Amino acid sequence: MLSPAVVQSAPATPEGTVFRAEALGKVYQTGETRVEALRGVDLAIPAGEMIVLLGPSGSGKSTLLNIIGGLDRPSSGRLFYHDTELTALGDRALTRYRRDNVGFVFQFYNLIPSLTAQENVRLVTDIAADPMPPEEALALVGLAERRDHYPAQLSGGEQQRVAVARAIAKRPGVLLCDEPTGALDSITGVRVLEALARAHDELGATVIVITHNVGIAAMARSVIHFRDGAIARLETNDNPVQAQDIHW
Amino acid sequence: MRALDLKLFRDLWRMRGQVVAIALVLSAATATYVLSVGVHQSLVATRDAYYARNHFADVFAGMTRAPRSIVARVAEVPGVRRAQGGIVQYARLELPLRTEPIRALVSSVDEMGRDHLNALTLSEGRLPRPDHPEDVVVDEAFAKANALHPGDTIAAQIYGRQQILRIVGTGLAPNYIYALPPGDIIPDERRFGILWMGRKGLEAATDRREAINTLSLTLEHGASEAEVIRKVDTILEPYGGTGAYGRKDHLSHAFLDSELQQLSAMTRVIPPIFLLVATFLVYIVLGRMIRTERGQIGLIKAFGYSNRDIGWHYLKFALAIAVLAIAIGSVAGIWMGRSMTALYAEYYHFPFLDYRLSPGVFVGASLLSVGAAALGAIGGARSAGRLSPAVAMLPPPPPIYRAGAVERLGRWAGLTTIGEMIVRHVARWPLRSAITVIGVSLSMGLLFATVQFIDSSHAMLDQFFGRAQRQSFTVTFTEAQNEDVIHALGQIPGVMRVEATRTIPVKLRFGNRSERTAIESVEPDAILSARIDMDGQQVEMPPAGLMLSRQLAKELGVQAGDRIEVEQLGGRRTRTVQPVARIVNEIVGARAYAENSTLRRITRDAAPIGAALLKTDPAARDDILARLRDMPVVLGVTERDAAFTRFSQMIEQNILTMIGFYVAFASAIAVGVVYNSARILFSERAHELATLRVLGYQSGEVGIILLGEIALLVVLALPPGCLLGYGMAKLMLAMFSSDLFRLPFAASRASYGLAAIVVLIAGIATALVVARRVMRLDMVRVLKARD
Repeated sequence: MLSPAVVQSAPATPEGTVFRAEALGKVYQTGETRVEALRGVDLAIPAGEMIVLLGPSGSGKSTLLNIIGGLDRPSSGRLFYHDTELTALGDRALTRYRRDNVGFVFQFYNLIPSLTAQENVRLVTDIAADPMPPEEALALVGLAERRDHYPAQLSGGEQQRVAVARAIAKRPGVLLCDEPTGALDSITGVRVLEALARAHDELGATVIVITHNVGIAAMARSVIHFRDGAIARLETNDNPVQAQDIHW
Repeated sequence: MRALDLKLFRDLWRMRGQVVAIALVLSAATATYVLSVGVHQSLVATRDAYYARNHFADVFAGMTRAPRSIVARVAEVPGVRRAQGGIVQYARLELPLRTEPIRALVSSVDEMGRDHLNALTLSEGRLPRPDHPEDVVVDEAFAKANALHPGDTIAAQIYGRQQILRIVGTGLAPNYIYALPPGDIIPDERRFGILWMGRKGLEAATDRREAINTLSLTLEHGASEAEVIRKVDTILEPYGGTGAYGRKDHLSHAFLDSELQQLSAMTRVIPPIFLLVATFLVYIVLGRMIRTERGQIGLIKAFGYSNRDIGWHYLKFALAIAVLAIAIGSVAGIWMGRSMTALYAEYYHFPFLDYRLSPGVFVGASLLSVGAAALGAIGGARSAGRLSPAVAMLPPPPPIYRAGAVERLGRWAGLTTIGEMIVRHVARWPLRSAITVIGVSLSMGLLFATVQFIDSSHAMLDQFFGRAQRQSFTVTFTEAQNEDVIHALGQIPGVMRVEATRTIPVKLRFGNRSERTAIESVEPDAILSARIDMDGQQVEMPPAGLMLSRQLAKELGVQAGDRIEVEQLGGRRTRTVQPVARIVNEIVGARAYAENSTLRRITRDAAPIGAALLKTDPAARDDILARLRDMPVVLGVTERDAAFTRFSQMIEQNILTMIGFYVAFASAIAVGVVYNSARILFSERAHELATLRVLGYQSGEVGIILLGEIALLVVLALPPGCLLGYGMAKLMLAMFSSDLFRLPFAASRASYGLAAIVVLIAGIATALVVARRVMRLDMVRVLKARD
């Protein structure tokens, strides 16, 4: 069956869609400058896919990711997560949504330096509804042995894998990754991508990855190209490559 | 303006909350300094000007009666510049509609205004006229308290004779700045006043034509006071001299002097606490600022600014805080100084009492503030100056956490992950955590030390009025009485018990030290008075020898077992040697006690009765007072309850004013310390807090990290706060104690609790203000930036 990974302009939520955006717009007003970061984005993202957002700096991909993740609110338009309208939720409900459904991985890991690898994962498992044991999450990213190390005692790649473990430990419906390999060299970056792929395969989560790295796009079923706050084009990849086959 | 100065101004504005919080603590130092030094200077300047203008005497002497010609003889004594003789006589006054006896000290005044020493300053009216023995000038406070005005008349009994006096003026004199009724411990201007009567009039009224019973002298510059006193005593001995004494033993002067000593003690103890805390705060805030501005410092240096430019830039930041503190503190200090001065004016009677500040006070306060701020800044400024540009522009190394005792402890205690974050952060920055703990505990200490004054003064009142004095009335006599008066008093209906108190004025000598005091004695079976020590224990009179109050023993340098020389002043002027049998640590006064038998050995006579203690039926109060008023030998009556009320009022008024100030100051410390700690904590942890928000923690849960750490530090500060408070309380009680009375340490648990609660509330409320920032945390922006 042909499953178009991402559909633009969806009038109603099709079956199996996890996110649906209607004319999403975002305007930043800083002092006298007005920046239109998103200009009426329409989008439907199917559940369980791995999607890559590609585009130059300032093209709007991070803004979209933040809105999808419930970290930011659009200036106009609507966004649905399954049947829930995220754009109508208040701060508490949006936090609840992040807590139960969304895992994040950032470029700069954002681990808590005073907590060990395992404790960083516990931060999430302490509050999630149905988490996996922290050890299991660390095992998934190949760091079971290093669980009692503090961030300062781990390499950049290891820190990012802890961040991935922390993101997947809650068994999230969605895994959002903003330049997860941006601060890493090729070899450690691949190990992080492997961890992401494994999480995607084993948890069936929808994974959305922002990257500048065109090579990484080969991993995804769908690639959304961004330019000037809007979707420039959609690309479907019927034969995604394995993480270990990616080089840059 | 240089770009770097522009940065300074913007930094100050950006960090205005922290700047103001530190400035508040520092301004408390400035304010207390300006307050205490300012009031001290104003009082000293006023007193000195008043003494100089009205020629307050240096030496005073009393005698039974001496011919006026003695004044010229005394004036011949080498070292005496001027001598002046006069008459003082206690009298009873009767005011309409007043049942209680009212006492006055009538003092002679030259009708032509030729008095030189202790000169009377008229506030209204005129001096008594030469041929009008009824003319009197009334002291201003007494006139005001009893609504007396020139033209009014009062009935008086002077030297056993009834007389109608006409008020011709009101005024005051430097020897009655603080006027105490005989036998009392606090002024009561409603029941005791000073009257000045023309010399001729008072001579006639007291049968002392061309005679005197009091003498005042001023000394030549450099004259030996002790030598003059010795010679004057020799001259006055045949006339019933009771021993000359210097200003140190002059009641009014001594009270004022002890007040001044308390003020200067306050200057030495209180401002340093605030200066210390402010120095700490500048240190941690500037330290944090420099850490966050590493990159900028590197860049500015790369542009070619020198190390000194950078160091000076950060030093100026601290100095700006000091300038703000000086402004706030000076205004607050002046305002508080005015209210304190007004309070003093109620108890100390000056013709003028201006709160005047010399520029030196502000210079001193400014130097202290600038010094404290600079001391706090110097380390940070130097480290900023020393940063090499290349290193500075690199991101700072991440804080390193390793498994240690704290981590193991946390795991053992089963802390949540959030709990671990809090505890480890505290342990990661031990110096800063310690500074917060020290600051908050100092705040609590100061609060406690202040609040416990209420307990202490209640304990003092309870011991003095509740346990040491059980009589209803103390009756004083116009002159010493014998046993008959006790029987007469016992006959009054409603009087349930009468006990005699015998008092003889003496000079005690030990080695080369000597003190003027009085030895008191009570009946062997006395129950109406007791000697209670500081711990509340009743101390029995020793069967032989003297019992000295600790204050007196300290002044003389004697211990129990020593033998001291006792010179009776007046009477037979005996000199005996008596053993010191016991020392009693009393609250009020510096007195000596002895059994009647010992007293008799000293006087070689039946010791005269100076006062009688009466236990009465409260229902018969007015009748008893009326009967006492009709007894010519009775000079006055002190009602224990009225004295108690008056004392309570004075203490409450003084203490509440002081407590009001100090609660504000102590809260300023708590707020200043907690606000700065919380702001630094917030800025350091903004990244982590945002991360937690992203992971799905609600803002309330995230706020716990901030509040939890502050709460932990505040709670940790409570036990040392209690200890510090205990120490500070003891210090402050010692500061506020004087020769005249001592405050016992009697803090209740509630005072510890109250201090802890105020600190907790101030701390948590301040932290909540900062925690509100968690709500406004911009998750996206924080996470995009590298920590």
